[in-house]
Amino acid sequence: MKRIYDMVIIGGGPAGYTAALYAARAGLKAVVLEKLSAGGQMALSSQIDNYPGFEEGIDGFELAERMQRQAERFGAETELAEVTGVRLDRDVKEIGTSEGTFYGRTVVIATGANPRTLGLPGEEALVGQGVNYCAACDGMFYRDKTVVVVGGGNTAAADAMLLSRIAKKVILVHRRDTLRATKIYHEPLMNAPNVEFRWNSAVTELLRGGKLRGVKIRDVNTGAESEIDCDGLFVSIGRAPATALVGDQLNLDAAGYILADESTRTSLPGVYAVGDVRAKALRQVVTAVADGAMAVHAAEGYLAEHENRLW
Amino acid sequence: MAAMNMNHEQFQDMMENGKTLLVDFWAPWCGYCRRIGPAFDKVAAQYGGDMAVAKVNIDDEPRLAEKEMIEVIPTLVLYRDGQALGSIVAPESKAMIDSFIQETLAK
Repeated sequence: MKRIYDMVIIGGGPAGYTAALYAARAGLKAVVLEKLSAGGQMALSSQIDNYPGFEEGIDGFELAERMQRQAERFGAETELAEVTGVRLDRDVKEIGTSEGTFYGRTVVIATGANPRTLGLPGEEALVGQGVNYCAACDGMFYRDKTVVVVGGGNTAAADAMLLSRIAKKVILVHRRDTLRATKIYHEPLMNAPNVEFRWNSAVTELLRGGKLRGVKIRDVNTGAESEIDCDGLFVSIGRAPATALVGDQLNLDAAGYILADESTRTSLPGVYAVGDVRAKALRQVVTAVADGAMAVHAAEGYLAEHENRLW
Repeated sequence: MAAMNMNHEQFQDMMENGKTLLVDFWAPWCGYCRRIGPAFDKVAAQYGGDMAVAKVNIDDEPRLAEKEMIEVIPTLVLYRDGQALGSIVAPESKAMIDSFIQETLAK
């Protein structure tokens, strides 16, 4: 039996589950395709203090589970399925997954963004062997050890702060001569006794002996190279949109984010982009959930307009 | 059916029985371990007839984790006849857990 939905939502973060909630409440048959568990990036944040209504803050994983249960209360479905291919340029769109094919009269892309990698040889093989992308997740392994943090933005600064409370020593490597991070991070980091800085430097090589044992860095001005011995490396150089599956079918901006205005409509009819994967000025849980609601508003209009063709 | 939590004695019994056993080594403070939870419970329900599917909290069972050489969590290890057949660290999707199980059992 063909599994045909009014709305297939790819990705179970806050944008995806808000679309599911609004779709289900509008009487649309909706399914969320999620490869692991609800929440996306938010699920790895143990304390979210800028989502209104939770005055003490809320754990991101718990907030995600609540969003999922709320959408499911109104009849939205969840499939733990990894999407392998999509065909978006037809009336009833096809979504190929590890659990078979799903068909959607509309499709909402809510695939989010992932940490950027350094792109160095051997980096992938060292993941879990010293190379990390999430200080909140993996920091605890480096109690009383030496770690290097790469990056100079808010994520890198927050990661360095968190790690300074766990590790013996934190060395922040940044290619500029000052942090790009918001001012509130500067002073506590500068004052932390166990945080050192290597300005104007880039990591050029990962040194290993089984696991990671250090990194080679190069001074971007002088070209001088040096080595740092460390037990762990945290790569905090921003995020990249998860658009590999749809990049050849939708218009993207130069950074790879899906072009869609506030209506969340993409370059293809019946296809909407919500949350961090959409080109936008501010990527937050509150802007993601707003996108989810907008997508359903736009999709309802589209479904009504093309009623005779889609059914 | 959710995956049950197991201690070192239960683990030892399983090893001696030679049963096929899939273990998720995890800890409550590990954010990514929680993210795997729903997928791992689904795996437990799906494969429960063919193998035992269990979780080991490495904070409660540090010696077992050390003996099994668990250095990173979450690590999933598949055992048969008292031997570790293979392992996977921090799988990114339920599909990845499925193919790990199928490929490891086919070896």
